[in-house]
Amino acid sequence: MTVTLTELPAGHEFEAISIVMDAARSRAYRVATGDTLPVYDEQDAVPPLAVAAFALGALLESVGLPPGTLHANELVRAHEAVPAGSTVECRARVAQRSLRAGRVFIVLESEIMLNGAPAVTTRATVLCEAEAS
Amino acid sequence: MNGPEVAPVTRRLTQAMLNAYADASGDHNPIHIDEAFARTTAMGGTIAHGMLVLSLISEMMAVAFGERWLASGSLDVRFRAPARPGDTVTARAAQQEAKDGRLRYAVECVSQTGEALITGTAEVDR
Repeated sequence: MTVTLTELPAGHEFEAISIVMDAARSRAYRVATGDTLPVYDEQDAVPPLAVAAFALGALLESVGLPPGTLHANELVRAHEAVPAGSTVECRARVAQRSLRAGRVFIVLESEIMLNGAPAVTTRATVLCEAEAS
Repeated sequence: MNGPEVAPVTRRLTQAMLNAYADASGDHNPIHIDEAFARTTAMGGTIAHGMLVLSLISEMMAVAFGERWLASGSLDVRFRAPARPGDTVTARAAQQEAKDGRLRYAVECVSQTGEALITGTAEVDR
């Protein structure tokens, strides 16, 4: 049975994951969001939020999310542009886990590394009903 | 201050966008893509991924700052209310005092009724 994100304790560290920032997937992301700016093609770069979203998607392949989980807060910072086609490494951990008013709050921090240096860092807070976790 | 004015971005959300975003991002939470499931929740129907709505703010900042946004931009936001298929969402920004050498903007996404969906700040290197 797959462990859900909300069952993991504070301090849990995920195994580092390598993720290819595939150019076709980046284009699919831009089509889905409606972002047709030329800057990504000009810079041969993946949108910073796409980098964060792809990393989160990769993490969620190893843990489940209770249906109905909601996103409460997000901090995303780009430290350098991530080229399309590059391979990044995502290091993530559960920074906080708390129970408030019948809801589980999880703070997930990640560092998305490019050539050994942080390219994008994130801090996401998600919540779900305690009985769903 | 001394940063550029940032022009708003407006987009109408559709269920097709949510489905495409789920496929591109790998986030297939049924609250976004399964209408039958979503109707059984407190949301009463599917809602857009928060990161999909947030992408309008990132796009808006990328228009204003280009490569600089890709290499030094940051967003610190709170998701206040869900956006639903059929909603028309506008991302907009108001410049604030620069902080720690970085340009700073109050940013938000609002619905067609003026409801705040996302609020927060965006920063980028000068």
